[in-house]
Amino acid sequence: MADRPFWQSMRALALLAAAALGGLLLLMLIIAYFADLTIVDDASRGAVDFENRSISIVIEQEPPQMDSTRATDAVSGMLLGHLMEGLLRYDGEGNLQPGVAESWTVTPEGAVFKLRENARWSDGKPVTAHDFVFSWRKVLEPETASQYSFILYPIKNAEAINLGAMPSEMLAVTAEDDLTLSVAFEQPLAFFDRLVAFTSYYPIREDFYLSRDGRYGADAEDLLFNGAFVMTKWVHGAEITMQKNPYYWNKDSIWLERIEVPFITPDSNTQLNLFKDGKVAMVQLSPDTLKNALQNRWPIRRFAEGTVFFIEFNHRPERLTRNLNLRKALYYATDTAELVYRVIKLPGFLPGASLFPTWIKGEHDFLRREYPVGAHPVNVELAREHLEKARRELGLDEFPPLVLLVGDTPTSLKQAEYFQNTFKRHLGLDIRIDAQIFKQRLEKMTLGQFDLVAAGWAPDFDDPLTYGDLFASWNKNNRGFFRSEALDAQVRIAQGSLDQAMRMRAFGEIQRILLDEVAIIPNYERGRVFVADPRLEGLIRRTIGPDPDYSRARIRER
Amino acid sequence: MSAAELDFSPAERSTEAARIVRPSLSYWQDAWRRLRQNPRTMTSLVIVIGLLAFTLAGPWIWRVDPANQDLDQLSIPPGAPRSAFIVEPYRAWTRSAPVPGAGLRLAEEASTQRVRLVWDTREDSPAFEVFRDNYPPTATALGIPLGEVLLSDGLAFEDRLALEPTTYYYSIVPVDADNHLLMNARETIKVDVKRVITLEGARQRGLIAEDARMQVGDQVRLALHPLGTDYLGRDMLARLMHGARVSLFIGIVAPLLYVLLGVAYGSIAGFVGGATDQLLMRFADFVVALPFLLFMILFKVLFGIGPGESGIVPMLVALVILGWPATARLVRGQILQIREESYVSAARLMGSPTGYLIARHMIPNTLGVILVTLTFAIPSAIFTEAFLSFIGMGVAPPTPSWGSMSNEGIKTMLVSPHELILPAIFISVTVLAFNLLGDGLRDALDARMRSVE
Repeated sequence: MADRPFWQSMRALALLAAAALGGLLLLMLIIAYFADLTIVDDASRGAVDFENRSISIVIEQEPPQMDSTRATDAVSGMLLGHLMEGLLRYDGEGNLQPGVAESWTVTPEGAVFKLRENARWSDGKPVTAHDFVFSWRKVLEPETASQYSFILYPIKNAEAINLGAMPSEMLAVTAEDDLTLSVAFEQPLAFFDRLVAFTSYYPIREDFYLSRDGRYGADAEDLLFNGAFVMTKWVHGAEITMQKNPYYWNKDSIWLERIEVPFITPDSNTQLNLFKDGKVAMVQLSPDTLKNALQNRWPIRRFAEGTVFFIEFNHRPERLTRNLNLRKALYYATDTAELVYRVIKLPGFLPGASLFPTWIKGEHDFLRREYPVGAHPVNVELAREHLEKARRELGLDEFPPLVLLVGDTPTSLKQAEYFQNTFKRHLGLDIRIDAQIFKQRLEKMTLGQFDLVAAGWAPDFDDPLTYGDLFASWNKNNRGFFRSEALDAQVRIAQGSLDQAMRMRAFGEIQRILLDEVAIIPNYERGRVFVADPRLEGLIRRTIGPDPDYSRARIRER
Repeated sequence: MSAAELDFSPAERSTEAARIVRPSLSYWQDAWRRLRQNPRTMTSLVIVIGLLAFTLAGPWIWRVDPANQDLDQLSIPPGAPRSAFIVEPYRAWTRSAPVPGAGLRLAEEASTQRVRLVWDTREDSPAFEVFRDNYPPTATALGIPLGEVLLSDGLAFEDRLALEPTTYYYSIVPVDADNHLLMNARETIKVDVKRVITLEGARQRGLIAEDARMQVGDQVRLALHPLGTDYLGRDMLARLMHGARVSLFIGIVAPLLYVLLGVAYGSIAGFVGGATDQLLMRFADFVVALPFLLFMILFKVLFGIGPGESGIVPMLVALVILGWPATARLVRGQILQIREESYVSAARLMGSPTGYLIARHMIPNTLGVILVTLTFAIPSAIFTEAFLSFIGMGVAPPTPSWGSMSNEGIKTMLVSPHELILPAIFISVTVLAFNLLGDGLRDALDARMRSVE
């Protein structure tokens, strides 16, 4: 009777399994209960807290660089915008407002800024002109390797210093006294005041910077602030706390006492759930979470964020994409309207047609109205003709696969797969998708390891030049090595001329050259949709400058 | 003593009477008999065979390109309606003819190609914000903000954003000079959108014959997607079939290779024994300690697998190189045991050569163990593939695999759950079926359980 113990043991085993499962369930319930108890204090913090004048927000990643001389990304820029203040700043409508500078005069040859007496660092010491001189020199020193050094090039000797040909003391920025800063330009310039609100132009105090011994910006205590808020806590990768700066000269205009960043996550579904649970005051919506927000009946808001996205080609000699006909083939096969309306599916996006966005101002009206381009042309027949020409010119029997370098976000991957299919279906071209994180993508772009790259450009200052000089042969951000003497000549006019009409004509020419030469395939202008807590007022969303800006926000009392 | 003196005589020698035997059953016949008696195992066997048919024969029957993007039917669930009207190709809106009527109204019939709205100005608002909602708007929620229309642009708006054949509620809200929405002055209309396709589009997608006489206004049926489509309009059924290829290829080939390797390695170690055995088994212990994921990445680099290229081969190599020690240990143990059995000693005493010993005694007695290891290795390999593809280490787009499909589906889990649920079901059912099959095989092939009925 060997079978009985066997079946008995099986029964025992089944009972054990059932007991284990039951026990596990019970354990989970108990843990969930205690977890609930422990986060009670957390929940009370909530998205907005009227009594404590505090809000909680979520950011999509840990700020990679809080040293303003080296910051390049939007998250660091957003946080620095709350913590620091330049000579001038942009307000909610995108107009320039006095910042540390009380008054200023800009002439074609130079500018003089009068600093306010009551501007203070967060340790109580006054902000002086020397702090600006120090940080601007720092940005340009080759050792800093700032990717944004070019934004200071309008200052006399800046480029030479950046290239290591001159010591940084030669920079034509001088502190006449503690409260007067004078700047001389390399060549006549019409828009310097629009530049000084940018992150790279923020001040840094020399003695503090040196006392940190190379750790400036690495932690909350390694930073000194002169903006509306101070960072009091920074647990890397987990949370950030900002508190109102008691020394800020304009502290009466700041209502909020605290901005908490208890969550750092790029996942849009997680972000949406945080908002749903009342943990954060604002979330950006993605195509996946948009429907969910709709079902929840939240008031959805839109904002034309204005960053321009495009496919950039690699124009290096060894690359096939150097061939104009191949580029034209890809250009005519792309349907940007389909991309925006069927694939990306987010409101606020505009199908791209040019490097210059629709919102950028020209001489009297928007630049794109003064120098219009038609909608992006789609013509598969023409595309095939150009491809055939390219094939003959390159002497190829068959095209090898082209590498499309993209970011690793869901939207860019989706877009990449759409392009892969489009080029395969219309042109029979094989596309290999190379998805990389932001830093790695930039690295690969710099090294030229791509045929096509999905790139974007956010404006740094309010002038068409922020886009216009992007494909100049000397621009470090021209990572596809596009070279055109005609374009370089127009960029020089746009940079050097004081005649606005002439400058705008140059931008019109730049736009035409880029389209004729198919330096890029414009994809779209980005829009943003978001939901914000209804009690939160005065949230600023802007195209140029730190976005979103909570510094002037207040909470409605129910 | 004569024969007559005896009352009995020797019976006829009968061979029949003493033969109380059951029909002779070979090892395999016996195993199969017991396998058949186990309904759980038979069910899983049917599922496994069905899966193989789905993978190998499926694409021959369902001839749909898994990479083809049907942008007219994005993320549709299984069984969605698919009739569409033929319309003219899209042309930019010239807004030449005035639209009769008053208030917010449609300029043309609404279709999935575009919805064109016009309205009249009432107050001196410099701009209007246009909203679209899938539900009747409430006091605060008007749906998706589509865009802003400046008074100078003319009071009209064209919506082309991801239009679906459903009912929308369009609202316009005047915006005052300070950029505040005047919610009280809003106007809303209900718009029924019908699904349309251009003649050109229908031809390109092969919905109608090239020479078919179709006119604007005629009805066609869009491409059939029995299991719906994913976020780029790719057919889920075709993707699942092609994804199964990758999953089952890795799932069957990798275990087959590493079990073979393990059997060879383990039987050598077990049969030779002694110092060789020690050396070989310590090396196996060393291999067990190697981290799989790290090696997977290293092999990817070593093989020169560039970006956008499939990582299937390095995955296979990594699985084979790191998977064999378990089988080798098991087989070595078996061989060591069998080597000392009395029937082996007997055979050896009778002068059997080594080859005969291995072929006649060793292998048949370990075969059950080997087969069971194999069936258990398959689901774990399938799971590994799914996991690696899920984290993006496996196949390159547009090649689907169940793991990468789950990864894509999880992003739209709340809105279109079928994109996650379908590949997840396939992974779970496959893994479960192979596990149950392995369980049943172990019961059936284990010689010691022969008497247990």
